[in-house]
Amino acid sequence: MSTVSATSKTNHDNRIKRSTGDWIFDLFLYILFGLFTFLCIFPFYYLFINTISDNSAVTSGLVNFVPVGIHFNNYVALKDVNELGNSIIVTVSRTILGTALMVITSAWAGYLVTKQKMWRRSLWYRALVVTMYFNAGLVPWYMNMLMLGLTENFLAYIIPGMVAPYNIILVKTYIESIPSSLEESAYIDGASSVQVFYKIILPLSVPILATISIFGAVGNWNSFQDSLLLMSNSTRLQTLQHRLYIYLNQSSNLAAAMGTGAGGMSTQAADNLLNSKVIKYTISMVSIIPILLVYPFMQRFFVKGIMLGAVKG
Amino acid sequence: MEGIQKRYQAVKPKEPLGRLIPYWIHRLVILLSGLMVFFSPLNPGRVSELINENASLFTTALSFGTITNTMARPLKQGWILEGDIRALMLACALVVVGILLSAVGGCMSVGNIRMKKRGLVFPIAGSLLMAFGLYRIHTIGQHVSSLATELDKVSRVKPMTPDGWTVFAIMTGLILLTSLILLALYLPRKSEQKMEMEEKYRLFLMFLPVLLLTFVFAYLPIYGWRFAFYNYSIGDALTPDKYVGFYWFRILVENEATRRDILRVLTNTLAMSGLGIATSWLPIAFAVLLAEVRSTKFQRVVQTLTTIPNFISWVLVYAIALAIFSTDGFINSFLRNVMGQTGASTDYLASADHTWLKMLAWGTWKGVGWSAIVYIAGIAGIDQQLYEAARVDGANRFHCIWHITIPGLLPTYMVMLLMSIAGILSNGMEQYLVFKNALNADVIQVLDLYVYNIGIGNGQIPLSTVVGITKSLVGVTLLFAANGISKAIRGESII
Repeated sequence: MSTVSATSKTNHDNRIKRSTGDWIFDLFLYILFGLFTFLCIFPFYYLFINTISDNSAVTSGLVNFVPVGIHFNNYVALKDVNELGNSIIVTVSRTILGTALMVITSAWAGYLVTKQKMWRRSLWYRALVVTMYFNAGLVPWYMNMLMLGLTENFLAYIIPGMVAPYNIILVKTYIESIPSSLEESAYIDGASSVQVFYKIILPLSVPILATISIFGAVGNWNSFQDSLLLMSNSTRLQTLQHRLYIYLNQSSNLAAAMGTGAGGMSTQAADNLLNSKVIKYTISMVSIIPILLVYPFMQRFFVKGIMLGAVKG
Repeated sequence: MEGIQKRYQAVKPKEPLGRLIPYWIHRLVILLSGLMVFFSPLNPGRVSELINENASLFTTALSFGTITNTMARPLKQGWILEGDIRALMLACALVVVGILLSAVGGCMSVGNIRMKKRGLVFPIAGSLLMAFGLYRIHTIGQHVSSLATELDKVSRVKPMTPDGWTVFAIMTGLILLTSLILLALYLPRKSEQKMEMEEKYRLFLMFLPVLLLTFVFAYLPIYGWRFAFYNYSIGDALTPDKYVGFYWFRILVENEATRRDILRVLTNTLAMSGLGIATSWLPIAFAVLLAEVRSTKFQRVVQTLTTIPNFISWVLVYAIALAIFSTDGFINSFLRNVMGQTGASTDYLASADHTWLKMLAWGTWKGVGWSAIVYIAGIAGIDQQLYEAARVDGANRFHCIWHITIPGLLPTYMVMLLMSIAGILSNGMEQYLVFKNALNADVIQVLDLYVYNIGIGNGQIPLSTVVGITKSLVGVTLLFAANGISKAIRGESII
């Protein structure tokens, strides 16, 4: 089930004759949704065709619906953009490391909070859940990170994200739906709670763990605010989105900034490449492409995740 | 069942209070020391005022950069030796390791007698390690201070004896003392064959790391609220003479300029949240109308493609906005090259007109497809017999929508609505930060962005903390109110 479909349920029986009003209404629906869908995907398409089209055509605004003079030099040229490579490495590492640690922690914590036997379980669980609705505020949070030495420090991307209460609740809800007889029979066979976790709970929770990994990975990939707040003085630790934000706000000196890198090229080629508008588009495209690539495969997990979220933990 | 429980309780040895009290003191002292590791005002390693005031013992042990970023010149001139700083870090690391060892012992102290006895080795070893580390810190401190005196640079190096050192020394003594008392109490006792621990404590100890992380990153920031009561700017020490009580809270309402700012920001916040709430029925409409489309394939395609914008960041949304609406973006080049319009291009993003509506439109573009999923699934869950019965009674599709589908979705909608009312003051800052420019700055600044701008941007830590505190408290109150309403109306809580 890749999408939640409601058609089979509410669609009207074909035997019932459709009136003219029905026809008009149907047409209206197709136009409405067609238009909105177009609005949702056209910008991505527009960005893409502008990054692969002839750069002079892009500059004169001739690329509106179809690409002109296709080439991929802009993507090659990105290697000369200052700090971009670094930010990609940072973003990829935090996406992999941060997501992995978050998933492990959520699985483990989600399993433990289902254990009624735990000493003062409900108190700890509540303390965890409260943090979803209450936070001390941006500045106290920042001062806290400063106190912990987590500014200008890659660990700031990984450690605070490890405990994600919402994901813990999702895992907990999911584990509670697994028949408890499975666990009990393992205990009777002499397994410890750690063994039960590895041998029974973990394999059965793969769907929910996949869901939270996807959410976590997308969140990490899109992360901007923590980089903005904590890494203002260390350029090499800034995330891709943060770099993109900086590039977008540099009016036109981006091309000039990478001029030295492209020094070896012929004047015409350099002219073609050093176009700040196209470079901005290309960097944007680079940060969108991974999401667009994983998206079709992951959509069912997203849907599952939001449905589980709707079931209160 | 009850019999088994009773028997179990009878078997379980009851510890007399005389033994329990030393244990509770023991654990409490270890826990406090563990927390103090992250607590910057009690950093025992701050042997000079030059060491960053915000560095905790943990940071001092780990990050050379953080502790030395304020002493580049003294280090270069040789007023403070780098070797001393390195030795200091090592000594601090020893203290941290000592506390870790004690913590292991503290965890083992909830086991059976055999485990308790074995566990006492750890805090004894740990406290000795801590004592050695503290002794090293003391000698390094003396060395730093004597070197400074020798070079006549005391005013530049500012050697000091940190309060934290004394506190940590007391803690070390207490850990050692309680361990020895417990050793004397438990050594004569007969112990079991194997080390064991009750299930409930074992589960708790396995959960403890999660709790500690939660505490450090979600509860410890509350300690930062103290900045609201001081005349503080980054780098200052929080000395008693800087204490100003509720001065900043008064500024918030009494100072003309600040009050005007706050009112303007509040208007923006409430307006944009209000618009969001006023259009919160859009996802329902989206879902209901999409369900009316006959082709399943079309439904799937629409649903898949309209959720994409939800998964890109606001920075990327802004990149898209630039590509479409800026002077050399799609709209302008389309008008010029396809429609043949002449004249100057318009930068649609730069103007301050209709900013609230524009922000609403971007939010809707990004979120409506995604928010609709809950309702689409809700529609799939409505009992089909209701529709059949209605059609037999002569209802057309609009009757069905109005009398069956929408009432079926209303409970979910109520939850979402109450949650968004509870979050009326928090609309995040990313969207407004990326879309902000010189022209629309006045109408786009929401509370979160304002706090960021004055706190991180201008360094007005106390004032931004005051705004943050007020916002947090109002937010919690609203949440409880919303929860109360939900309980009263639906008999169900939303949190």
